[in-house]
Amino acid sequence: MNRAPLIFLGVFFAFAFSFVGLVLTNQITYGGLSTHVDEGEGKAFPMQPSGLAAQGKRVYQDLGCVTCHTQQVRRAGFGSDMGEKSRAWGERQSVARDYLREERVLLGSMRIGPDLRNLTTRKNPDWDDFSADWLYRYLYDPKLVMTDSRMPRYAFLFETRPIVGEPSPKALKLSGSHGPEAGHEIVPTDRAEALVGYLLSLKDTYAYPETNNVYTPPAPEAGEQKEAGQ
Amino acid sequence: MATDSSLTSELTPERSAKHPEEVSIIDASLRTPLVVLIGSALVWLLIASVLGVVSAWKLHTPAFLDACEFVTYGRVQPAQTNAFIFGWGFNAAFAVSLWLMARLSRGALPGSGVLLLGAVFWNLGVTLGIGGIILGFSTSLEWLEMPGFATPLLLVAYALIGSWSLVVFRAGRSHQIYASQWYLIAALFCFPWIYSVAQVMLVFSPVRGTVQSIIHAWFSSNLFLLWFASIGLAIIYYFLPKLLVKPVSNYYLASLSFWWLVIFGSWAGGARLLGGPVPAWVQTVGTAASFMLVVPLVILGMNHYGTLAGRWSVVKENLSLRFIAFGIVALSLVLVAWVVGAIHGVAQIIQFTHVTTAQIQLGLYGFFSMVVFGALYYIVPRMLDTAWANAPLTTVHFWASALGVVVLVGSLAIGGVEQGLRLADGSIAFAAVTKATLPYLFAATIGFVILAIGQLAFVLNFFWTLSRASAPAVRTMKGLLAAQPEAAR
Repeated sequence: MNRAPLIFLGVFFAFAFSFVGLVLTNQITYGGLSTHVDEGEGKAFPMQPSGLAAQGKRVYQDLGCVTCHTQQVRRAGFGSDMGEKSRAWGERQSVARDYLREERVLLGSMRIGPDLRNLTTRKNPDWDDFSADWLYRYLYDPKLVMTDSRMPRYAFLFETRPIVGEPSPKALKLSGSHGPEAGHEIVPTDRAEALVGYLLSLKDTYAYPETNNVYTPPAPEAGEQKEAGQ
Repeated sequence: MATDSSLTSELTPERSAKHPEEVSIIDASLRTPLVVLIGSALVWLLIASVLGVVSAWKLHTPAFLDACEFVTYGRVQPAQTNAFIFGWGFNAAFAVSLWLMARLSRGALPGSGVLLLGAVFWNLGVTLGIGGIILGFSTSLEWLEMPGFATPLLLVAYALIGSWSLVVFRAGRSHQIYASQWYLIAALFCFPWIYSVAQVMLVFSPVRGTVQSIIHAWFSSNLFLLWFASIGLAIIYYFLPKLLVKPVSNYYLASLSFWWLVIFGSWAGGARLLGGPVPAWVQTVGTAASFMLVVPLVILGMNHYGTLAGRWSVVKENLSLRFIAFGIVALSLVLVAWVVGAIHGVAQIIQFTHVTTAQIQLGLYGFFSMVVFGALYYIVPRMLDTAWANAPLTTVHFWASALGVVVLVGSLAIGGVEQGLRLADGSIAFAAVTKATLPYLFAATIGFVILAIGQLAFVLNFFWTLSRASAPAVRTMKGLLAAQPEAAR
């Protein structure tokens, strides 16, 4: 008996089933999710990223930062992204609406480095806060500002050039052996500026209606979590 | 392989097959395209092996080659993965599936021009794509990093190559459809569907928000479960009974596991997004579908281990079977890891850790590649009509591959669990988490080095065998060319 048509049709319908179920259904049900207009503030959230941040995202993509960094905060009680005794990677969990303005959503699948979704809202243990200055120095040589960092240097995003006239206000403030030779300065290239602009734009702090009633695990389970962690 | 091939040929039913001349006609019709596909697959395998060592090295020694933008980790690692998947994996899968389809359908290849064109386009596309990643045009979507200017070429090439499997299938004289063919047909349809959907909805005209992440997860889980696993299973179902000269045990269950895998496996991607900013039902359905994989896991186990039972001594002596048996065990482990990893409590620990990489390497290297190696050790001598050139190199290849996979996957899995447990404890500083993984990452590099040595042995052996096989043909050709002017005179 020739069962070829049966197999062809069966395989076709199986794929169609998952394509319709997972891809189309989601596209139809929330692919058209809209921004949240806050009447009080007169703004639509999430906000449109600045031009610099949009350029910086391209740099983030072309360097493959997503290979090591995620951009998603999981809910309290699921991992230690947020909540009590957590890494405090965000004030709230990431929701679908946070990513609406992004042409390419880079949730990421590896945390070789820390999550970056709310970088600028986080407390920096080694510095006052995540300032542009700190990020430049970190990208230039991570060990300058965090001795036990394992991130590679991105010195190729910077340019060493002789000082002509006034030193550039953007020049990295480096001292001793790390600094450039006399008469020279190290300045970030346009790509470094864009990347830092992008990193500084990362913050999901606005409370959407849907972030106010997320499931938080009951207290006993949180107790178990602590035990499991110890 | 000199000693092994004699054993294999004794065991090979085709020597006493009903249509011995047909078999040699089929093999001869496939010779040129298969040499091109396998040859390019092996070149990519070597490239991926080298890039694997480089990227693994960078992970524990970040200062290694850090002055050059083109080999920064975020580019080398995706380049390695893409070279492995689209360079090695797809070329090898094309070659093996074409051969399997021709043999099983008892159809010879009517011509190879279009197929060769497809192979050229495919490899051109992969070269452009990987070049694009290195030069900074990556899409940053895992397994889809190749930029938009390369991928349409891949789809065209796929159409040119994949359609030949169907041509051979239709042209064949056999009306029985064997389990291997179901899987080949599923794989054949799966890839263009998922790849074109992913390209259109993620790269060329991206959908909004995290729908992208769902499509991405749907693509990557299907690429493994319905493309790589299907090809691997087609190989296992073909070679296991053939080399052991016994029918597949509990074969009547095989169709159940096939349909189960195709229907539920295609939904399993949602489990990758557990805890992420996507609708909860997608995550739940993903977990449920992942649990459904228990059924094919059990049936495949009954089919494979049932057939192997009592014949392990044959496995020890037959090179192809050794690779395939290794792959069978790896497949079981991958499916177990998939099911266990879909449990919430486990996912929140191992998500985003090196365990993920361990699972991928176990699936792509430990299962898929090992099974393909086994198939190639059988196919190449028949296709070229000569024995493998060097027996010690085959031994090196097997042991280096087996040991390399065990070291690589083992270290990443254990290191990843440690990493996950530390990450889950908010009081441990991030740098301390990274520091704890360093010994394991170093071990993983050793795994990559061992694997690279093994693959080098394999590639050398293949081209050595190829040169030996083509030597008479080259001589004849030279003789003809030399004779021609005289004849023309």
